[in-house]
Amino acid sequence: MLNILRITNFAHLAELEVGKHLYWQIGNLKVHGQVFLTSWFVITLLVIVSIAATRNINRIPRGLQNFMEYALEFIRDLAKNQIGEKEYRPWVPFVGTLFLFIFVSNWSGALVPFRLIHLPEGELAAPTSDINTTVALALLTSLAYFYAGFSKKGLGYFGNYVQPVPFMLPFKIIEDFTKPLSLSFRLFGNILADELVVGVLVLLVPLFVPLPVMALGLFTSAIQALIFATLAAAYIGEAMEDHGHGEEHGEHA
Amino acid sequence: MTHSIILLAAETAGKEGGLFDIDATLPLMAIQFLFLVLILNATFYKPLSKAIDERDEFIRKNQLDARERLSKTEQLASQYEQELATARRQSQQIVADAQAEAEKVAAEKIAAAVKEAQAQREQAAQEIEQQKQEALASLEQQVDTLSQQIMEKLLGTQLVGQR
Repeated sequence: MLNILRITNFAHLAELEVGKHLYWQIGNLKVHGQVFLTSWFVITLLVIVSIAATRNINRIPRGLQNFMEYALEFIRDLAKNQIGEKEYRPWVPFVGTLFLFIFVSNWSGALVPFRLIHLPEGELAAPTSDINTTVALALLTSLAYFYAGFSKKGLGYFGNYVQPVPFMLPFKIIEDFTKPLSLSFRLFGNILADELVVGVLVLLVPLFVPLPVMALGLFTSAIQALIFATLAAAYIGEAMEDHGHGEEHGEHA
Repeated sequence: MTHSIILLAAETAGKEGGLFDIDATLPLMAIQFLFLVLILNATFYKPLSKAIDERDEFIRKNQLDARERLSKTEQLASQYEQELATARRQSQQIVADAQAEAEKVAAEKIAAAVKEAQAQREQAAQEIEQQKQEALASLEQQVDTLSQQIMEKLLGTQLVGQR
């Protein structure tokens, strides 16, 4: 109970729990139930909206189809800018889903009053405010760029590690570890910090004062989703980039 | 108060739970995410990409078509203009020809008329002259007879006959 701060007057709203989880036991594995509950909410929302948008596709887009086409164009542009015109198409679903999932998670954490639903332990929040989610996404990104590199160049991908100079080898190897680490911690830290700041402010002044911070939180949430997707696309693009000296000279000649 | 929150957060990390509690949530979340990618690929990315590409194709084709038709129209318009110009030139030519011909005819007719008039005048003058001569001649004749008669009247017939 130490990490539950409570002001008795605002028992429902002014409550702050950190690091408490609703544990579900699956076999001898433990999972964080509250993360799955909110992530299922997010996934259901995404699937329903995308089905509704594509149920009746018209040449002249209207309403939801128009909106989702706008989102898709945005994602395609993002992937095209980072990965390049030639290779970006197969990566649109991965990068786009990263963006949509993180974005909707962040905003649902900020906008949907999950906290009004009481759980036996822990509380519902954005799935991205749990380190497991962000690490999972970051590791998938790592796998994705390794896969992209190997499928494009085969074992020649290891050539990337000694480009442009062999001296870079240790740094490139370290980079493979720092990339998922920075990706996951950036997202996790931002979202958790945002929720904590809002929580603390609500705890102190439960009226009006937290609103600007909440608005700022929405902004950072969107930015974080964009950053995550952009970086993932950039890593994938980097892994597939051509470094071959001969080819490069040939191209520039 | 915020201090205590941070401290508490750090404190709980050691026990069960805590901020950095990594467990089976991680792989399950990854699998779940991959499923989401597959589902969205089928329900969102593929159909909408197809729709967008088809629309692009449609627009490009229409644009190409329209451009072709525009160029054809322009060609036709220039052709018509050219034809119009030739027709105008021809019509001007025809008008000029007709005018020239009409002038020529008019001049000819005027000349003929002038000539005829002159001829008639000359003829008339000749006739007048002739008649004048005739009249003078007959007058002279008459003068003779008249003077004979006058003398007869004055002197009598015998006298005249004697002479």
